[in-house]
Amino acid sequence: MSELIEFRSAVRGFLEKQAPVRTDDPQVWTRMVRELGLVSLAQEEQPLPLICAVLEETGRLLLQAPYLPTVVAALIVPDLGDRTAALALDGSLDQVAHAADAAVLLVTRGDELYVVDDLSATPVEALDLTRPRAAVTAGPGRSLGSANRARDLERLALAAESVGAAQRLLELTVEHLLAREQFGRPLGSFQALRHRVADLTVLVEAATSSVWYAARSDDLPVAAPLALATASDAFVQVAGEAIQMHGGIGFTWEHDVHLYFKRAWTTALLHDSRALRRLSFERSGR
Amino acid sequence: MSTPHEGLRSAHASAGTPSFRDEVRTWLAEHLVGKFAPLIGTGGPGREHEHVELRTAWEQELGRGGWIGLGWPVADGGRGVSIEDQVSFHEEYAKAAGPARIGHIGEQLVAPTLIAFGSQEQKSRFLPRIKAGTDLWCQGYSEPDAGSDLAAVRTKAVLHDDGWHVTGQKVWTSLAHFADWCFVIARTGDAPRHRGLSFLLVPMDQPGIEVRPIASLTGTSEFNEVFFDDALATSLVGEEGDGWRVAMGLLAFERGVSTLGQQVGFNREYDEVLALARSNGSFDALSNELIDAWAGLQVLRHQALRTLSSDASASSGVEANVNKLLWSSWHQQLGELAMKVAGPSALLVQDGLSPLQNLFLFTRSDTIYGGSSEIQRNVIAERHWKLPRDSFS
Repeated sequence: MSELIEFRSAVRGFLEKQAPVRTDDPQVWTRMVRELGLVSLAQEEQPLPLICAVLEETGRLLLQAPYLPTVVAALIVPDLGDRTAALALDGSLDQVAHAADAAVLLVTRGDELYVVDDLSATPVEALDLTRPRAAVTAGPGRSLGSANRARDLERLALAAESVGAAQRLLELTVEHLLAREQFGRPLGSFQALRHRVADLTVLVEAATSSVWYAARSDDLPVAAPLALATASDAFVQVAGEAIQMHGGIGFTWEHDVHLYFKRAWTTALLHDSRALRRLSFERSGR
Repeated sequence: MSTPHEGLRSAHASAGTPSFRDEVRTWLAEHLVGKFAPLIGTGGPGREHEHVELRTAWEQELGRGGWIGLGWPVADGGRGVSIEDQVSFHEEYAKAAGPARIGHIGEQLVAPTLIAFGSQEQKSRFLPRIKAGTDLWCQGYSEPDAGSDLAAVRTKAVLHDDGWHVTGQKVWTSLAHFADWCFVIARTGDAPRHRGLSFLLVPMDQPGIEVRPIASLTGTSEFNEVFFDDALATSLVGEEGDGWRVAMGLLAFERGVSTLGQQVGFNREYDEVLALARSNGSFDALSNELIDAWAGLQVLRHQALRTLSSDASASSGVEANVNKLLWSSWHQQLGELAMKVAGPSALLVQDGLSPLQNLFLFTRSDTIYGGSSEIQRNVIAERHWKLPRDSFS
């Protein structure tokens, strides 16, 4: 357990130094793969608690490197090797995250999963600036069978990143509430704001628990959609409240809060939380 | 970088010893029968008045079975059972629909307080009787003018030759009618607010104490007012004037081992609501809310498991407050949903409140007792985020 904490703190130390928010230095990705071996965690006997710990850290800083799709692909494709991957698990190819740098695409056709390595990508401009997107044309590739596990792993990965991002954004918001004074006192002393922070804390803690559980669960088909629904809802809620509680500065391009807001909504619009909860409920057999 | 091979591998509540869980299950199957059979599913919030005598006998049966004080240290007469095994006990107890424990205040609140702050004499006097189920306890904290602002208590205690004499009024005291003892926060000096308080133990069977039931909005009387008129307290726990620290320490003893057991009960309530929705045709119209409630219940479980796990990175320091906010609002919403599912027939009363009506009404208290939701939010803001207090809070 203490090892998991040490591991997480080493990852955090690296990312905070090398990849603060808005970093697009390709060296970060090279080092994550080659020096830190973070993609090869997929070969561990019990990889998900470790990978989710990394994803919470990459989520905190809105990492622009393609860790999420690549590590999900590494869990699915045994011979991925050191290739970078992109995911199109709803079958849509018009705005695939990280596709421009990808050597491999996992794409669904119906509910079947294909791995494709002849692809070409044309970058597109997206609201979310932290996950570069591209329109893709892909060759036929080869089938890997059902897409269910890949989709659940992507859901869990997105949930872990969302939880990390929501935690960090809440921290940034509290820092602002402590530093900013109006009416001669810190904003954070006003109960109207303190209680909103507390309510957001409850959402984020609950989402953290759902991700924690899903990463250790033997029933991923139920736990993963629920974790993403919980985490995505929490992130969206924190993001909106973070802009509001930052006041005017939160509306500026310069401040990072809008980057979190746009990423939160991108995940939420691509993965409807109500539908995810229903899927989880139906799979539970309740 | 080396990768850890250790770490939490399991998110299963049944992480405890299987033989211990079996022992609990077997014992309950053998003992919650015969004269105790009518107790199955009784008691609990809003229904604490049910079968009091028989539940007291049941508490003593549990004591004889060695099931009280599982988590207390062995040196203090407990069994020193691991947290995982305590969870197993609570889960199995809830699965067997064991009656609401009439001795829980003694076991869960008084005993840990005495173990942490009490003298050897107090421990040897009180713990064995809690463990045997022979002494029942109630809690004297809130007063008419000291609810959320507990430090405003006005009940006074004055030292005489025979002990402390207590005068004042407590309110919202569960089980006061049946309790043998009450622990009371009272003012023992002139120091203001938190500093002048002491933690006293008062026998309930004496002329200076009067208990009056409060009729609550359910129409039943779960809670009481307790009037102390020169009543004698025989013990003071900790130091004189140190009552606030003792009282706050007591709140920290809620480690959440009973949370998973509580959730077994929530599950049963949810299943009733879901079954009703499916049988009366309201499922389709209310499916979003029913699924949200299911999801909320899963998250409560995940939160409890993570809180109880030994993964230190899981610790936020305010888990108990987060948990309280989560479960109390979830439970309240389940009560509201139950009424929507039941439809207009839920507005009629026949032979007292139905279980769903009781759920609907009693859960209004969930967000008030044990630290209101507003107090929980203040604690999270202050303790976890170090946000400054405003001049009133």
